[in-house]
Amino acid sequence: MVTTVEIEQLRIYMYVIGTALAVGIFYYYIIYLYRSEKKGDKDYEKYSNLALDDELDSKILEKNPKIENDKKE
Amino acid sequence: MFHWLEKNPFFFAVGVFIVIAYAGLIEILPNFAEAARPVKGLKPYTVLQLAGKEVYKKDNCIACHSQLIRPFKAETDRYGQYSLSGEYAYDRPFLWGSKRTGPDLHRVGNYRTPDWHANHMWNPKSVVPDSIMPAYKHQFTNVADLETAYAEAVTVKKVFGTPYGADIAPGKAAYEKELKTKILPEALKIATEMKRDDLIKMVKAGKVPEVVALVAYLEKLK
Amino acid sequence: MQSNATLEYDYTIAKLYMWTAVIFGIVGMTIGVLIASQLAFPDLNYLFGEYGTFSRLRPMHTNVVIYGFTVSGIFSTFYYVSQRVLKVSMGESKLLMGLGKLQFGLYLIAATGMVVSLAMGITASKEYAQMEWPLDALIVVIWVIWGVIMFGLIGLRREKTLYISLWYYIATFLGVAMLYLFNNAEVPTIFFSGGLGAWYHSVSMYAGTNDALVQWWWGHNAVAFVFTVPIIAIIYYFLPKESGQAIYSYKLSLLSFWGLMFVYLWAGGHHLLWSTVPDWMQTMGSVFSVILILPSWGSAINMLLTMKGEWNQLTKNPLVKFMVLASTFYMLSTLEGPIQAVKSVNAIAHFTDWIPGHVHDGVLGWVAFMIFAAIMHMAPRVFKREIYSKSLLESQFWIQTIGVVLYFTSMWIAGITQGMMWRAVDEYGNLVYSFIDTVSVLHPYYALRALGGLLYLIGMFMFAYNFFKTATAGRRLEQEPRYRSPMA
Repeated sequence: MVTTVEIEQLRIYMYVIGTALAVGIFYYYIIYLYRSEKKGDKDYEKYSNLALDDELDSKILEKNPKIENDKKE
Repeated sequence: MFHWLEKNPFFFAVGVFIVIAYAGLIEILPNFAEAARPVKGLKPYTVLQLAGKEVYKKDNCIACHSQLIRPFKAETDRYGQYSLSGEYAYDRPFLWGSKRTGPDLHRVGNYRTPDWHANHMWNPKSVVPDSIMPAYKHQFTNVADLETAYAEAVTVKKVFGTPYGADIAPGKAAYEKELKTKILPEALKIATEMKRDDLIKMVKAGKVPEVVALVAYLEKLK
Repeated sequence: MQSNATLEYDYTIAKLYMWTAVIFGIVGMTIGVLIASQLAFPDLNYLFGEYGTFSRLRPMHTNVVIYGFTVSGIFSTFYYVSQRVLKVSMGESKLLMGLGKLQFGLYLIAATGMVVSLAMGITASKEYAQMEWPLDALIVVIWVIWGVIMFGLIGLRREKTLYISLWYYIATFLGVAMLYLFNNAEVPTIFFSGGLGAWYHSVSMYAGTNDALVQWWWGHNAVAFVFTVPIIAIIYYFLPKESGQAIYSYKLSLLSFWGLMFVYLWAGGHHLLWSTVPDWMQTMGSVFSVILILPSWGSAINMLLTMKGEWNQLTKNPLVKFMVLASTFYMLSTLEGPIQAVKSVNAIAHFTDWIPGHVHDGVLGWVAFMIFAAIMHMAPRVFKREIYSKSLLESQFWIQTIGVVLYFTSMWIAGITQGMMWRAVDEYGNLVYSFIDTVSVLHPYYALRALGGLLYLIGMFMFAYNFFKTATAGRRLEQEPRYRSPMA
């Protein structure tokens, strides 16, 4: 049987580890995002155009490979 | 690496779920064993009091009244001893409220009497001249739903092990017996203390007005 | 096979939800003005007998504006935006279309059931989760159907990357599902008592403090996943589209999304400060509430910077005006919330009118303004007609803005006044004011608040009229407008 004290300890450990992990990942993520764009590997900002060019016949930014493009039919 | 998520909706959804579920897992779940223990000597609500709690819910008293005395001097001076977690062990649902347009009621049974409540529910201005609370005259004629309250007592006894006696059992016959031997006598006592003939008459005819059940519940709040 | 020329977005369901949003908006806000007036003028409690008291009407107001107006607004924008950013038409799948119609039908039934049961006083009594178990079960079905439609459309998408708005819709779906199921866990009494009592009655799975924890975990996060997350979904699509400006920073939107998801849930504890829940949890609630400012402002600043160099649109286009003011109100209320969550401030603010004041600068200034703007942006595309009146929109904007300002300023003063009076002691340490003193002093503020609400309601009527006229009598459009919505 687990006592409430043990639960309380477990919970504090999980809280500290989880939060530290999340913060770590988050900062790594920020650095990664900006660095990969600086190096020219990625261009994230182009995805903003998804909202602007949203007609059925607008140019598709990146085709979904699972769906064959049936527009030519 | 990360950008992968926005292109893969399934894993994106899983990611979101993990992130939002994490807080609940830590914050909510472990607390359950600790907080559910009743304080010593706490009795479960009688069927009549449960019916009163239903009236409290139905006319939604929690829109304006809290049942939570916070540990500040100004609050304990005004309402009495601050609230303890174990005092709520039989409250399903909890009725703390979130707004005090009117005063807190957690210990109202200590300083108000049934006849004060009777006057107040009939016409709040008769006892508190500046009151902005509406009168609840319909509670004096509407009949309280005792059967549903009894069903609730049976359910919490069975499912959650709330310590009721052997008299609280499923079925119509057990309910009829409880009604005659316990609920109606208790209601008659409250109605008499409320000093209103119309209420006494109704209870004697076997019909408990909503306000009588409500006052039974408010009297239990100490 | 459908030919290319006829394939277009199918707005049938978006249209239906636009109408329910307008209707529930009128109903919910009318009740709101009535109950606000009842606090200032108590005689108004007796208009409809037992069904017209403040206490009975208050949950009606909150439920109709949340589950009627706001949720309709969210669904209507979802059925509009998701097709467009995924470049898939609902018309391409008979199954999804059928499910969409089914979802709307069930939604109407649930909404009607909600109004009727609350009027009768049938309630589980937990705030914003008042509906009893039969309705709860129906809502679960509606929600699951929504999820199937959402992921069905995503499965058919032509565009590989999900646009920002969809992240927020997905989070709305998951967040509400998780919270709703947990908070509404209840035991129907009829099954355990040998068939006694009302069939719709139930008891909560949790008791006392636990119930409060779960309930405010819900109460707080329902605000997150109904009033914040999906409304951000709306602004991320409609502001760029209406202004023709791409979002300022896609990276910032990524960061604020994940930041918001992680932090928001932790802040739930701040509703229970000074109560009987454990201390460390209350403290954590406070701390995270303050951290929450960062991702919230991340989104809001992203919005405002999107308009960089294009501020002249603010004077020319009332829809942009609505959306920019909405982001500003979003910043205001996400700053105000954390301030109230600081323990010492909370000691004064809790239980007072400052709390409804805070809620309303969020919902009137941010949520409803965004829904108005989104509906008016969709209307010309959906009905293929010009917006009926620009001047009506302009006047609505100003009347409602004045209404919101009156509302929250009066409630600030009322809340702080009452909080201070409750704790005021004289030189011997005795309480100075009896409770009724602290009520009577609020009369002018209650009257002002009712006036603010009334102005907002007038604006709502102007909006409804404008919308109705747009749908039926606006000038026909030959071609779908690309960015700015045309208006007469």
